[in-house]
Amino acid sequence: MHSFLMSIDKLNAWVGKAFAWCVLVMTFGVSYEIIVRKLFNAPTAWAFDISYIMYGALFMMAGAYTLSRNGHVRGDVLYRLWPPRVQALVECVLYFVLFFPGIIALIIVGFNYAHQSWGFNMGTGEVSIQSPAGVPISQFKTLIPVAATLLFLQGIAEVIRCIETMRTGRWPERLHDVEELETMLLHEQQDTEGLSNEMQDVEEWEERQGWNDDDDSSKAQRGSDNGDDRGGSAPR
Amino acid sequence: MTDPQVAVLMLGMFIFVIMLGFPICFTLMGMGVIFGMYAFYDPSYMTSIFDPGVWGRLSFLITSKTFEVMSSDVLTAIPLFLFMGYIVERANIVARLFYSIQIAARVLPGSMAVAALATCALFATATGIIGAVVTLMGLLAFPAMLKARYDTSFAAGVICAGGCLGILIPPSIMLIVYAAASGVSIVQLYAGALFPGFLLAGLYMLYVIGRAWLNPKLAPRIPKEEIEDVSTGQILFLVVTSFVPLAVLIMAVLGAILFGWASPSEAASAGALGGLILAVCYRALTWNRLRESVYLTVRTSAMVCWMFVGSWLFSSVFSVLGGDQLIQDFVIGLNLSPIMFLIIAQIIIFLLGWPLEWSEIIIIFVPIFLPLVKFFEIDPLFFGILVALNLQTSFLTPPMAMAAYYLKGVAPPHVQLMEIFKGVMPFLAMVLIAMVTMYVFPEIALWLPETVYQRQGPGGPA
Repeated sequence: MHSFLMSIDKLNAWVGKAFAWCVLVMTFGVSYEIIVRKLFNAPTAWAFDISYIMYGALFMMAGAYTLSRNGHVRGDVLYRLWPPRVQALVECVLYFVLFFPGIIALIIVGFNYAHQSWGFNMGTGEVSIQSPAGVPISQFKTLIPVAATLLFLQGIAEVIRCIETMRTGRWPERLHDVEELETMLLHEQQDTEGLSNEMQDVEEWEERQGWNDDDDSSKAQRGSDNGDDRGGSAPR
Repeated sequence: MTDPQVAVLMLGMFIFVIMLGFPICFTLMGMGVIFGMYAFYDPSYMTSIFDPGVWGRLSFLITSKTFEVMSSDVLTAIPLFLFMGYIVERANIVARLFYSIQIAARVLPGSMAVAALATCALFATATGIIGAVVTLMGLLAFPAMLKARYDTSFAAGVICAGGCLGILIPPSIMLIVYAAASGVSIVQLYAGALFPGFLLAGLYMLYVIGRAWLNPKLAPRIPKEEIEDVSTGQILFLVVTSFVPLAVLIMAVLGAILFGWASPSEAASAGALGGLILAVCYRALTWNRLRESVYLTVRTSAMVCWMFVGSWLFSSVFSVLGGDQLIQDFVIGLNLSPIMFLIIAQIIIFLLGWPLEWSEIIIIFVPIFLPLVKFFEIDPLFFGILVALNLQTSFLTPPMAMAAYYLKGVAPPHVQLMEIFKGVMPFLAMVLIAMVTMYVFPEIALWLPETVYQRQGPGGPA
């Protein structure tokens, strides 16, 4: 089961990272457009399409990769106070109640939507009406069911993670990956000092405020924070 | 239960579920689909909730909302600005920047605090990544200030508050997200946020210099014999090689947008290219750093944009059920004056900033306020800039004061979290002062968009 989990993680990381490079295509494509338009007064017909198709592909296809790195933001006010077993149980239930219905709906309607789009122009596919270059757009619409299917797979992987956690009582480690600079610097600092001083102080402070007089919950908080960074990444 | 009551139930359940810590975008999407099936089910002619009629309308809603996010020409700028930010963040520029400003400002009282604040503001504006600014400055400027026997709270407050300016001063990602959520022109929002951003930065600066001048114990002057002997030419060289390139990059991006030479996403891609060139010039562009920046960009973009997919589906189902109307009728029934509405709305947003971060607040909760903003004839642009000012506090107020936690994480062990909070408080007061000033003189925000773009808004709250 663990190897199945890891292979989904690797697949989605590969897809997400491959599509990540779209940002470089966008940067150079659109910069080129500015240069030829401003300096040579010869705008391209494709730059607008490049920018939104690359943007759409980039974020849609990286949805599953982001989930596999726990990158989708959570409101963790209560969550971070619980021991990992409770976190995993609640999360597992919510995957079945909320995640799968939403994602399965997206797969089905996305498939119909893309299917319809491919049927246009006597089966050769739909062409963007806003684009001066008349770029084909069916491939772009096909990304909806594909991205949703990848998310579905990643959802299964996350459920397996929850089950493992319920069995062992701690979150399994995620694949190593590049982290936000602040996370990296914080970890470096913690490694040199041995223990997470930050979280200790938060607890001390919360105890002083009388918020956190339950000993178990403060241990759980520390445990969850050192374990897997399930706190969710902070948006900027 | 009537439909609007179901809508209120939906909102209540949503708030409950995000407290449980489930990823917010999938919460929104799942609830949108489930409640959408209920909303489109009409018992008068349908036999079950799985009737093809329900499914047809729901699938139209899901695909059109998803495709709307995928082809939005406002949101296109988000990955590009993020990419620019991550590249600049990794360009080894902070140390040089701080050192040069500190030397240039050494005659001022509290010169180190002034330099830290200016570095934070400039670097945060260029990168838009608060966590990175606060941790980097916490490792660099904070120990330097403590060594110069600055007051711990004072020094901590400067770094936390300075780092947060990055989400307010344009070109900021928060304003793009607000533009996408509200439909206000991004160009006019940037124009509107320019002076309020400078106002707040100026207030911070005045506070820092003023306190250091009144109470030199907080920020002792560097003793004469320790002042390094640096000639004016050397200072000039340092400033030209660190401060100027970054400032030029920001001004070029912002100028291109404000003067209408380029659309925001075009300016953002030029900014990203500029960031790459800058990194090459500082000999900081390695294959590894480029790869890291690209991967981080894609993860953060996916996080923000999937939240939009979920949120637009959720909010259309919410309004199909009549939730919007119910909230509007309720608020109108309270007989508030526009001023009272504005104050209450800002207090609610301030309170939401305790547990939540700005992205959730703007993408999910601000759209609930917007119809009311129009009802009270408040300019959504003016409202947006008040929100942007207000959300500065969401990083500084406990229990989720991320800026304070980041600083605590990298600070020397003897620094207490309470000391950091104590130092942040005066800056919260500055935010309040800036908001009141904005409210009394709405021209600070509205003059530039009205003059340059002939904006015909409903005007300020006058």
